[in-house]
Amino acid sequence: MLHIDDLVVRYGSAVALDGVSLEVGAGEMVALVGPNGAGKSTLINTVSGLLQPTSGTVALEGRVAQVPEGRQMFPDMSVEDNLLLGGWSIRNKQLDEVFDLLPDLAGMRRRNAGRLSGGQQQMVAVGRALMARPDLLAIDELSLGLAPIVVAELAEHLRYLNTERGTAVLLVEQEVALAFDLCARACVLEAGRVVASGPSTALAKSDAVRKAYFGDLADLEVAP
Amino acid sequence: MTEFVTYLVSGIALGSSFALIGSGFVVVHRVTRVVNFAQGSLAVFGAMLSAWLLADRLPHGLGEVVAVLVSGLAGLLVGLVAIGKRGTPPLISLIVTLGVSMLFAALIIWLWGQDPVAPPGLDGFATVFGAEVERQRLLVVVVTLSAFAVLALFFSRTYLGKALTASASNPHAARLVGIDVRRMGLVAFALSGVLGGLAGVLLAPSTALSFYSDLPMALSGFAAAVFGGLVSPLRTLLGGLALGVAGQLTAGYWSGSYQTEVALLLMLVIMIARSRSFTQEEAK
Amino acid sequence: MARRVPTPEPRTVLVVLACVAACVAPLVLSDLTFLMHTVLAAIVVTGLSLLMGYAGQASLGQGAFVAAGALTVAVGTTKLELPPLVALLCAPLVAAAFAAVVGVPLLRLQGHYLAFGTLALLLLVQAAMGAFDWLGGAFGISGIPPLGVGDRIVIGQRPYAYLAIGCLAVVLLVSHRVVHSRFGRGIRALAGSPTAAESAGVPVNRSKVAVFALSAAYAGLAGALSAFFTPYVSQDSFPALESFTYVIMAVVGGLGTLWGGVVGAVVVSVLLQVLNTVSSQPGLPPTAAPIMQYTTYGLVLVLALLAMPRGIVPAVETGVLRVAAKRPVGARQ
Repeated sequence: MLHIDDLVVRYGSAVALDGVSLEVGAGEMVALVGPNGAGKSTLINTVSGLLQPTSGTVALEGRVAQVPEGRQMFPDMSVEDNLLLGGWSIRNKQLDEVFDLLPDLAGMRRRNAGRLSGGQQQMVAVGRALMARPDLLAIDELSLGLAPIVVAELAEHLRYLNTERGTAVLLVEQEVALAFDLCARACVLEAGRVVASGPSTALAKSDAVRKAYFGDLADLEVAP
Repeated sequence: MTEFVTYLVSGIALGSSFALIGSGFVVVHRVTRVVNFAQGSLAVFGAMLSAWLLADRLPHGLGEVVAVLVSGLAGLLVGLVAIGKRGTPPLISLIVTLGVSMLFAALIIWLWGQDPVAPPGLDGFATVFGAEVERQRLLVVVVTLSAFAVLALFFSRTYLGKALTASASNPHAARLVGIDVRRMGLVAFALSGVLGGLAGVLLAPSTALSFYSDLPMALSGFAAAVFGGLVSPLRTLLGGLALGVAGQLTAGYWSGSYQTEVALLLMLVIMIARSRSFTQEEAK
Repeated sequence: MARRVPTPEPRTVLVVLACVAACVAPLVLSDLTFLMHTVLAAIVVTGLSLLMGYAGQASLGQGAFVAAGALTVAVGTTKLELPPLVALLCAPLVAAAFAAVVGVPLLRLQGHYLAFGTLALLLLVQAAMGAFDWLGGAFGISGIPPLGVGDRIVIGQRPYAYLAIGCLAVVLLVSHRVVHSRFGRGIRALAGSPTAAESAGVPVNRSKVAVFALSAAYAGLAGALSAFFTPYVSQDSFPALESFTYVIMAVVGGLGTLWGGVVGAVVVSVLLQVLNTVSSQPGLPPTAAPIMQYTTYGLVLVLALLAMPRGIVPAVETGVLRVAAKRPVGARQ
């Protein structure tokens, strides 16, 4: 339901994305990995509509909502207000639906979002994105700065969303083990180009890719 | 003692109008990072329109309300010019609003002439703590406090107010959820027009205003806003009151013609004091 | 082989024309007040243009420093018995010092603080001039002696006009050297990105203060010259509108360009004269003059900033370059 075709995005004279083509099917979970500066955030922001393509197309069937890098809370506002604002573009805001999917949020609805822990904020960010009833969740760095146990819990929620609601996920992630574990398919981005893509299990075993990006994680074991 | 109370109350009344104009600066600055130099012009415009409407065209109460609402529209127009063009840096927008304030001056002279205007207000006196105080001045205080309360409720309880707050605190995230931050900026400008118009309408019966009053009003309002770092409405209110009282006490016990200068001096002192607590990074 | 006549750069031609006009004008015009006013404005605005274009700061009350310079001369010569030439040389220094004192704290904050701060300063200076007798009090300071050295004094308007033009040339030269120096390159980096400049080792705050002080020095010099020319200084000599006019001139002429100050001063001064003539036509109400002036000022400022944010000089240069590019190289004129 997301079709990116030969996408080029420039910042002034610098080329951030140089002819990227990528597909995410309905209900699919696709990981986007690669080194810093590869253009992963640029791609996410273009998919979310924040950036305009210089050339090429981004075709989306349905709604997209972004879970931004660094959580990006509205500080000094309650969790509930943060969530409500997530539904800005939706007429009938279903706060209760989000509370059903992420029950922990209901418990902290009155708390100041700026004062929550990183993991809690990340859950609010996901909830805020869900308020827009998206068909695709574009997530930029899910695990950044979070403890593994928190990340595991978030990953569970994402799996649940994917299997129960059919929400597609495009996940930008530094932690490649997490990315490959969660998503069935992956794309490797380097210097604005897709250098490898395919099923996560295959990519994890590909020698060249492993050496280049996984370094001492070369003995990665991925569950079939 | 009664003398002191009179100065205190008239100082609070004067300071209230400073605080209202200051809150206009704050509302716009928080959302757009722009300082609207035409804030004083909006106050004068509101006062002049109100005077014109009350001269046998509209009854008391309605005339003032209409003037304030039209000032809101005027504020929106200022916003369109100041931030309508994408990518206008805030300092350029400041100078653009300087130009707009001159256009306002021309408009005011054309419509209503160059002479100072004082629309009719509340007549009579009331007794407060044993001192006789003009009822108009008490009205100013009451309306200002109510306006600030309404403003606080608006920002924290209404959806639009929350969106404005969000646009101010995290414009990137606001854009992510689909909020048009530029449109929020225009709403802020319209709101500042309402606040400015209200300030002018309240102040003019006691202190006649004319086309050149926009400069001292803008400066006093900015001075009040500086107390709040251009972001805090509550501290702007306190700052405005402090400035008004300081000005009136100066006028009463020293000399009447130095009210503005005292406010300006205090403003410079506050700004210099603020700079001490700033690192280079925070200031940008 | 045909000899190719080198086509002179358009800019050089204009500069030469300007110099010729500057030398001839004082001889040709009968009343030099307008010329003097324009030249002095050009001096102020050259500094302001540097400040706004390079340091990215706006000063809405540059008249405060003009006043500082004028007062140095007025008070220095009438109350402190300073020789006129000494007072003239001290004026820019006093103005620069004044600016540094205010600039060091204010330039650490966001730009609008300096904008309002200088405006507040201007109004405070005006008030001080009215309040304190040694600054003029209610009647101002008159009887400023003519400029001169020892027994030889300056008589008449013409020498002052040439002196002012000479000072303008000096100011332009100084600006040129500053802009093309290492300091100038650092400041230009500032205008682009303060954080990038900082990481490149540019002392951001000190550079801003230096540019601010320099612009104040220019303003002080202009103030001093005007104090000698119209030997009278009072609190009404530096209205806020005049300071706003400097900003308009800077914007129109081109922020951060060398000649922007001159171009802006000339264009706006001429425009103002035209407006005055038009609005004093019989049949127009007395309010026509201020209405026309404020409307023109407002429109010029808004349109110039929104449409041509870099001002006239860069726009004309780009236009001229485009025209010149269409002519084949070495073509006979």
